[in-house]
Amino acid sequence: MRFGSWEYLVEVQRRTNADEKYRELAKDEHDSYTLVLEPEPAKGVERRIVVGFRVDGGEISEIWEGERPTDFTLSGPYGVWVDILVGRLGANAAFVMRKLKIRGNFLKLLKGADSTQRWLEILRTIPTEFEGVYARDNLPGREA
Amino acid sequence: MLAAVFRGAGDIDVVELPDPVPGPGEVLLQVKACGICGSDVGAYKTGMYEPGIVIGHEIAAEVLEVGPGVEGWAPGDRATVNGVIPCGRCYFCRHGRPSLCEEVLMPGVNMNGGMATRMKAPAGALHHIPESVDDHAACLIDPLANVLHGIRRSRFKPGDRALVLGGGPIGLLTVQCLKLAGARAVYLSEPSPPRRRAGGSVGADAVFDPLAENLYIRLDELTEGEGVDFVFECAGVPATLKEAPMLVRKGGQVVILGICEEPVESDFMTVVLNEVEILGSYCGPEEYPAAITYLARGQVNPQSVISHVIPLEDLVSKGFEALAAPMPEPLKVVVEMPAR
Ligand SMILES: [Zn+2]
Repeated sequence: MRFGSWEYLVEVQRRTNADEKYRELAKDEHDSYTLVLEPEPAKGVERRIVVGFRVDGGEISEIWEGERPTDFTLSGPYGVWVDILVGRLGANAAFVMRKLKIRGNFLKLLKGADSTQRWLEILRTIPTEFEGVYARDNLPGREA
Repeated sequence: MLAAVFRGAGDIDVVELPDPVPGPGEVLLQVKACGICGSDVGAYKTGMYEPGIVIGHEIAAEVLEVGPGVEGWAPGDRATVNGVIPCGRCYFCRHGRPSLCEEVLMPGVNMNGGMATRMKAPAGALHHIPESVDDHAACLIDPLANVLHGIRRSRFKPGDRALVLGGGPIGLLTVQCLKLAGARAVYLSEPSPPRRRAGGSVGADAVFDPLAENLYIRLDELTEGEGVDFVFECAGVPATLKEAPMLVRKGGQVVILGICEEPVESDFMTVVLNEVEILGSYCGPEEYPAAITYLARGQVNPQSVISHVIPLEDLVSKGFEALAAPMPEPLKVVVEMPAR
């Protein structure tokens, strides 16, 4: 499925909420997030993708497309998100190196590193197609 | 005289008091109109003023009588009273910081103010009101001076971009002054729809609803990812104070004009990593003449800020209670004094 599409978000929510390990690691988290994937026309990524979700006690309680005010807003070029998802760039390194623009409680984000790691592992199991040149990184995924 | 006396939190009375008598160097004023300031509303909520004081420091008045030794003032002259009367002798006064004076007198805060039919004030604290500034507009001299003080204390330069948080009277005046000062763009964030409309009418380049929009995304779009150079916090509430350092660009400046009585948690890691400067600004005693000039020349629009004019008898019901609401409907409320 298309990275960042509604279908993809639904699958993220389904797989995340089915994962015992993630639920345990994120059990104290109650925050809303906006993720902004900036376009890179030179690399075949034409449009900006804005999605959001809310985590409540280890469960993704809500997902949406488009903008809302949220506790965290993380934005960066599409390719940086791909790098993080496929594991070429560590999420914490992306935060610290400011590859992603982060608005929100930075410490909370760092403290949630373990749950973020687990979350990325879950995301990697989803069959994922990327835009433009990033199609080379498409993830085959596996059944949940 | 009739006067509005502060008794404590939630308790302001309009009562009959003896007329003040001007001593040497003092002037007796007949007050025509007086604005309700956000700090008056704060005191009404929290009780932070001196009990027994006559409130009011946004004053439009006329000289009735001059005490011995007063020069330059005569009965019939129109005047406003500076909201800060510094001692002129303390460390801060001697170092050009009258708003920090250790022995400061503040009408309506720690000495009797102008929410009354009569008021007495030291002649040195008076400023002439020009003919082109009517009594209602004169009530904006003090808040306008506050705003000018904040902008003058900041590093703001023509060509900078700014975000103003809070579309109350101070926020709307800040938008106008930043435009006057040559801002490349001024954006306003305000949850109340009528206040957002007022923001558009005073020239904000874009107006945001922080309850429905993601300000970071909006600002990134409008500034091509560069961000705003300044955030002016004019709401004085925890939510905006907490957010302000994250909304400004790296190396930017946050100027805090809003008064929030409670402590606020914020993300000082962002302040450090992004080298954000945070600056407080209080009052504007030295900016009164400039504020008067801007109003006299029509460079600041009083109609955009004054939403209600009420008689003194409605001070509490239509003034303080309306302004103390969580999302207040009025902007600046000007109180007209009875002619007596
Ligand atoms: Zn002093």
